[in-house]
Amino acid sequence: MDTTERGTRIQDLIGKYPQKESAVLPVLQLLQKEGGNYLSKEAMEVAARELGCSASRVYGVATYYSMFNTKPVGKYHLQVDTCVPGFLHGADDIAAHISKKLGIEPGETTKDGLFTLSKVQDLGSCATGPVVQVNDRYFENMTAEKTDQLLEALKNGGWPDNDTAMKVVSKCGILLNDRSRKDCRTLALYKKNGGYQALETALSMKPEAIVAEVKAAEVRGRGGAGFPAGTKWSFLPKDDPRPVYLICNADEGEPGTFKDRQIMEFNPHLLIEGIAISAQALNSAKAFIYIRGEFSWIADILETAIGEANQAGYLKHVDIVVHRGAGSYVCGDETAQIESLEGKRGNPRVKPPFPANSGLYGCPTVVNNVETLSSVPYIINNGAAGFKEIGVANNYGPKIFGVSGHVNQPGIFEYPMGTPLQEILEAAGGVKGNLKGVIVGGLSVPILTAEEAKGLNLDYDSCARAGTALGSGGIMVVNDTVSIPELALRTIEFYEHESCGQCAPCRKGTHTIKSKLRDLVMGRGKSDDIDLVLSLCKNIKGLTLCPTGEAFAAPVQAMVAKFRAEFEALVKR
Amino acid sequence: MSKNIFINGKGFSFEGEKTVLEVARENGIYIPSLCYHEKVGPANKCRVCVVEVDGMKDLQTSCSLAAADGMKVGTTTEKVLEAQRMVVNLLLSNGNHNCLSCEANGDCELQDAAYYLGIERPPFVIEEHKEREDSGAFILRDPEKCIQCGRCIEGCNRLVVNEVLDFGYRGGHTEVVWDNDMPLDDSNCVECGECVQMCPVGALIAKKGMGRARRWETKPVRTTCPYCGVGCQLDLHVKDDQIIRVTGTEGAQPNMGHLCVKGRFGYDFIYSDERLTTPLIRENDGFREASWDEALNLVAGKFTQIIEESGPDAIAGVSCARSINEDSYNMQKLFRSVIGTNNIDHCART
Repeated sequence: MDTTERGTRIQDLIGKYPQKESAVLPVLQLLQKEGGNYLSKEAMEVAARELGCSASRVYGVATYYSMFNTKPVGKYHLQVDTCVPGFLHGADDIAAHISKKLGIEPGETTKDGLFTLSKVQDLGSCATGPVVQVNDRYFENMTAEKTDQLLEALKNGGWPDNDTAMKVVSKCGILLNDRSRKDCRTLALYKKNGGYQALETALSMKPEAIVAEVKAAEVRGRGGAGFPAGTKWSFLPKDDPRPVYLICNADEGEPGTFKDRQIMEFNPHLLIEGIAISAQALNSAKAFIYIRGEFSWIADILETAIGEANQAGYLKHVDIVVHRGAGSYVCGDETAQIESLEGKRGNPRVKPPFPANSGLYGCPTVVNNVETLSSVPYIINNGAAGFKEIGVANNYGPKIFGVSGHVNQPGIFEYPMGTPLQEILEAAGGVKGNLKGVIVGGLSVPILTAEEAKGLNLDYDSCARAGTALGSGGIMVVNDTVSIPELALRTIEFYEHESCGQCAPCRKGTHTIKSKLRDLVMGRGKSDDIDLVLSLCKNIKGLTLCPTGEAFAAPVQAMVAKFRAEFEALVKR
Repeated sequence: MSKNIFINGKGFSFEGEKTVLEVARENGIYIPSLCYHEKVGPANKCRVCVVEVDGMKDLQTSCSLAAADGMKVGTTTEKVLEAQRMVVNLLLSNGNHNCLSCEANGDCELQDAAYYLGIERPPFVIEEHKEREDSGAFILRDPEKCIQCGRCIEGCNRLVVNEVLDFGYRGGHTEVVWDNDMPLDDSNCVECGECVQMCPVGALIAKKGMGRARRWETKPVRTTCPYCGVGCQLDLHVKDDQIIRVTGTEGAQPNMGHLCVKGRFGYDFIYSDERLTTPLIRENDGFREASWDEALNLVAGKFTQIIEESGPDAIAGVSCARSINEDSYNMQKLFRSVIGTNNIDHCART
């Protein structure tokens, strides 16, 4: 790319945003691609100049997000996801296999410059683990044999097919569609199945009426917190002259969670229709889909679908921009996501002010999860009453559960809220081996022992009563072959890697707990270390700047407290 | 209208919008804090200034909590002290917070907090080593003492607007970087030293004073910077008639604590052997010392002679940039009214 073409492309990227600096991530992504998967200091200086911000600001952003390679990598960057779901699926063996095969350790590059091996945190492919990301492509359901084939193909300059097989069951048939059809993503098929009728209805309704319907449906936010979406919408100030922004949170990064991508990848028009209706309800003329950067091909699918919807005239009232993240779990937090969308490091903001009053560019902003927004067309088509026929009291509607770990058929399951855990596990082919524990809502919720999990129903209230949380509905099943101290170490490694570093308890707490758990797992720990870990978890709860900062406290505390004997057994005598 | 809050059971009245930390400080109640600085406001990062508030579940950061009428605040409850101890322990457990020969000893907010909480040494240690960065002419960076409070960054970007510093990297690796994480001397840093003044610990150090005096050995002497006409207020920290370091006077106009590199670090000239202490008159090949009267008479005589021989426009005056505005005004008045020429300029223009 010559400098003129580069300049034009940078200006195009800048033009997508109301404010110039929002284009920092896309511009750095462009320059990294141009630099052969490497972002040099010179490239960062180009970005700083084009965007009119300081060198340290751009450097701070580039070194914050894990997908920017600020050190050169090989032609093929092999990234093995060894986070908890990957660990349960045997990802360590794949990493070790690659290591042996190529003669390099994680973090190293082969002498011929062809391969770099890295162990990375959650890639959002939990049921299809082990997963290896090569540059921007995923290779799922990996085995040693398939890894050999992959390496061979790459050496020869080719790309093998990705095996995405997993169990898919949709009892509700609302959020998931028939992905076996080649045309599942097309506008034609979506319309044939009644798509965009809800939008047409909504465009003839008063915005307040749409808000009232969604509020009446009591749809609780599917990102993890379970806050009623309609109530969140009603916090927007009335008669405010500032523009309203709608952000669709597609930064699916909670380990164990891979539900939003099922909608975006196979049923993109459902989400787009949901956004279009919600934008009409909120008087928002600009909406963003903040999608995690690793899902680059899904971002392409969304852009294609938006193009189709635009051409068909469905998006006259709202401009939808797909914004790719660049590798940061914390950007799933709504205020961190807003910061990131403003082109900054993904550091959460202090609340208040809340985004409804002062969000993106200081304007009223609503941030909703993909699954939440995708529920909106059904609510409009069937009314709040229709939506509330699904699920249980105070927990209505369909929910996508992802099941990974030790079950016979990991996969994705769309069931009504309040479905018994047992039913979902049976749909996933039953537990492989003897159940030791289960994490039902993504990694940030406390593990339940096999005993505690008995009779559990999967809705927000039942899970809270059982001393855990439904969270994102990412269910990770752990059998008795797993060492809980090892699981706890994996858990804290994730949060330590993802800590934004802004506040001291999270930054230093994760670091210290990781160090102590590693000592224990390596057999060099002391019995004081166990109490130190517990005391840190206890005191860090409620003390961090953002909710994500303390997210490790409850799960780590539960693992240590509920399986203490396993930790004691590791203590050096 | 005056409002009241209760801190540790005792009532304190305050006016207007204030935070709990501000009311506490005004009334001499110490709440440890690290990232808050009155010039840049709350940062909410260190989580050390937490207090317990009646009716609120979690501990609250007093730097950002608005004081409300009737609010009941506890600053020394066991829950507060346990949280504060944990955070200070965590900060002390990483890096190298050894006070023995630290330049900030006696003037360190982390040390103050540890002293207040009775922490002699952290109960656990995480080994980590980071190199000092010594490329700057005047500023030494010691990342092992940095607590990532961000005050230096705020100072650089929001107060002096040099935009050189920012946070780089993430999580436990978060570090303050200069431009593209380059050595200070190679960066765009002008070494104004605002970051040094904002640093609550010994992570950013003025090199000139190193090893020469601890903080309690020096006495502050307030003065006006002699370099230019702005009139910045500064404090000379003096031991045995020697300046050990210079800080901008916080809260004082016109500079509100900010200084430039010359005002903060360029004070060596006062100790120079070449410094003029008496007028000198050139004679033959050299100079001889003279009294002020003799020197002024000589200059006045020469001026009169030149005006008589060649007219007033044969004379020009250049006012010194180190003069205050009033002196420069008088200088031009002298030239225009007394000597009678418009040949007057200022060295900052030449």
